[in-house]
Amino acid sequence: MTIDAARSRPARVLIQRAALGTALAVTLGACGFVNSGDDSTEEGGSGGSLTAYVNTEQNTGLAPLIEAYEEETGATVDISSATTDELNQQLRVQLTSGTAADLIRVSPGNSSPVAVGVLGREGELTDLSDASWTDELSDDTRALAEVDGQVLAFPVSRNAIVMAYNRQVFEDAGLEVPTTWSEFLDACAALDAAGITPIAAPFQGGIYFQFWVYALAGTLVYAENPDIDEQMAAGETTFAENAEWGQVFARIAELRDAGYLSDGMLGIPADQGLQSVATGEAAMVLMVSAGLPQLHGYAEGGADAFGVFALPANDDPEATLVPVAPDFLAVNAAADPEAALEFLDFLAQPENVAAYANEMGVLPGLATEVELDSDVLGPIEPLLADGRSVAYANYLWPNGDVQQTMLQSGQEWLDGALDTAGLLGQMDAEYARGQS
Amino acid sequence: MTLTLSRPAVDGGPRATRRRARRARVPYLLLVPALLFYAFVVLWPTLQGAGYAFTDWAGRRETPGFVGLDNFTELFSAPAARSALRNTLIIALSTTIVQTLVGLALALALHSALASRNLLRTMFFAPALLPPVIIGFLWQYILTPAGPLNDALGAVGLGGLAQNWLGDSSVALASVIAVIIWQNAGLTMVIYLAGLEGVPPELHEAATMDGAGRWQRLRHVTLPLLVPATTIALSLTLIGSLKLFDQVYVMTGGGPGYATETLSVVMYKEAFVSGRYGYSTAIALVLTMIVFAFALLQLRGLRRFEVQQ
Repeated sequence: MTIDAARSRPARVLIQRAALGTALAVTLGACGFVNSGDDSTEEGGSGGSLTAYVNTEQNTGLAPLIEAYEEETGATVDISSATTDELNQQLRVQLTSGTAADLIRVSPGNSSPVAVGVLGREGELTDLSDASWTDELSDDTRALAEVDGQVLAFPVSRNAIVMAYNRQVFEDAGLEVPTTWSEFLDACAALDAAGITPIAAPFQGGIYFQFWVYALAGTLVYAENPDIDEQMAAGETTFAENAEWGQVFARIAELRDAGYLSDGMLGIPADQGLQSVATGEAAMVLMVSAGLPQLHGYAEGGADAFGVFALPANDDPEATLVPVAPDFLAVNAAADPEAALEFLDFLAQPENVAAYANEMGVLPGLATEVELDSDVLGPIEPLLADGRSVAYANYLWPNGDVQQTMLQSGQEWLDGALDTAGLLGQMDAEYARGQS
Repeated sequence: MTLTLSRPAVDGGPRATRRRARRARVPYLLLVPALLFYAFVVLWPTLQGAGYAFTDWAGRRETPGFVGLDNFTELFSAPAARSALRNTLIIALSTTIVQTLVGLALALALHSALASRNLLRTMFFAPALLPPVIIGFLWQYILTPAGPLNDALGAVGLGGLAQNWLGDSSVALASVIAVIIWQNAGLTMVIYLAGLEGVPPELHEAATMDGAGRWQRLRHVTLPLLVPATTIALSLTLIGSLKLFDQVYVMTGGGPGYATETLSVVMYKEAFVSGRYGYSTAIALVLTMIVFAFALLQLRGLRRFEVQQ
């Protein structure tokens, strides 16, 4: 044997063994035999440990409460977050593969593949009906949290659709807050005459367009016929057949045709629409209350520069309803529910309901008497206190595809490429497909 | 004197043969981990995914139902999907043709003795280095009705040309195509510059001596020798534009309405918005077949024109 051969053979053997070792590691890792350091489940198994997967807004609001909870109970909460879109994409796969967290953010009603209604019917969520806080669910929230009589979700907060307006612009135009549809049209006409865009319409993507549909439908459709969802599900009526649904789109068309919505609305992204109201280029924007801090941030005067009101849809000021959406947490049925239920009980304590609402500037999730630091939503609180709230119209449609059709075909409708009958017909077709 | 070259004597015997055989196996053994990893993260999911295209899988625990060709029937009959297929093909063909021509023109212009050529090459190539999502957000802002492009047009007295670039369905698709070309023309330019470096200068000198003018040299010397570069440029552009997603999703989300929706965008929405994973996989499969067919046709077609130096 030569010296070279003596050197090369062990090296070769070493390479071969290294290759074999790597191959085994990869294979075993793939089969799940090698734990690559994800020890959160192992270590978290003892004494009140909880994993949570929430959206970024919930994460912000829950952070101080989790700290207090951990201090009070000695339990640990391992929380991770993503934007709602990303969370919706990932959660479905996590639930299917058995890797979802104990506590998860779910959408209301049937509005997405990871909504309470969808997951509840599949048995993916734990029944929370025995929790004491279920007595404090408002009717519209309960309708979205329940599946077959079981409460399956906890509302950490509620968002309302409100019309935000620039106070200075209204003052300069000598306008009062409109309380009826006629007053609203008069205000738009006065603003238009003053050379101000009455309504910022950042309809690129369709998100802000849907707020108009839900806000008007709340008063025009649901106040007139609270059983419309049951009737549609039973096939007794459709979007196209229902006169009130036609009226919703007629109202929006009236604003569009009068030129009260932003020019080039389908090309305007949300942030630019909000900025136009902040600068006074436009006077109003219909939006969700959770977005108000962003709007306030665009103006030097902050929150004081803006006011809000409930969008009227007819000429009876007492008929106006405010669309409200709960932001839900639910307990994964595959998880040990004890720690999650304890944590939800903690969140349901009135001081914690108030803490979350104040931290986020949103409405309290439960119908609990709480003191809010901010009076930004003050103008709509009397309506909510009187029970004049309604869920977003899309939540009890059979799935998210009807809404998606409304958003996309709605852009064609706004552009004039599709008439109202065509749009409602497409929504009906998608509704029927969702039921099959 | 005669020099005889011969192979060194080969060490004979069965032990040496076995040693050589073992040595020959080493490269293959070294490939095993990578192959296993590739098979696990690419091949297996791909094959499994192809199977889901024939099911109604909605991402739920229960076994998905077999639906035969229903997903494909829907894809070719649903107006939205047909529109997305048409948009995908329009984007792919127009991007491929225009981007290749622009890239070629830039390469020819900058393959010269210009003092600032390196600076210009860097400037034109820079957009290709940026992530498509960043490009999407950037141009979404530039192309808004009150954005910098319309402002600039107004400033130079061309306000009449101002458009709602992304919000008007008659111009939105063209706007998206222009952004894609703007981003990637620099990459095509680099491919052609590499090709131009390989054109022997003596061929140009010989042609010049034969009396060929500039246009004739370009047509009969340069372009034939650039066919391999053209093959690469066209293939990359075509494949990239057929599976285009990022810029479209960021700039328009497929809108207004369905005006800029591509197959990739529909695939994404069907899977992650609607939870229709089976249908979405069918779209992916069709898209893969389209890409494969186009790439194959293009490669075969262009190789006929390649010339040997």
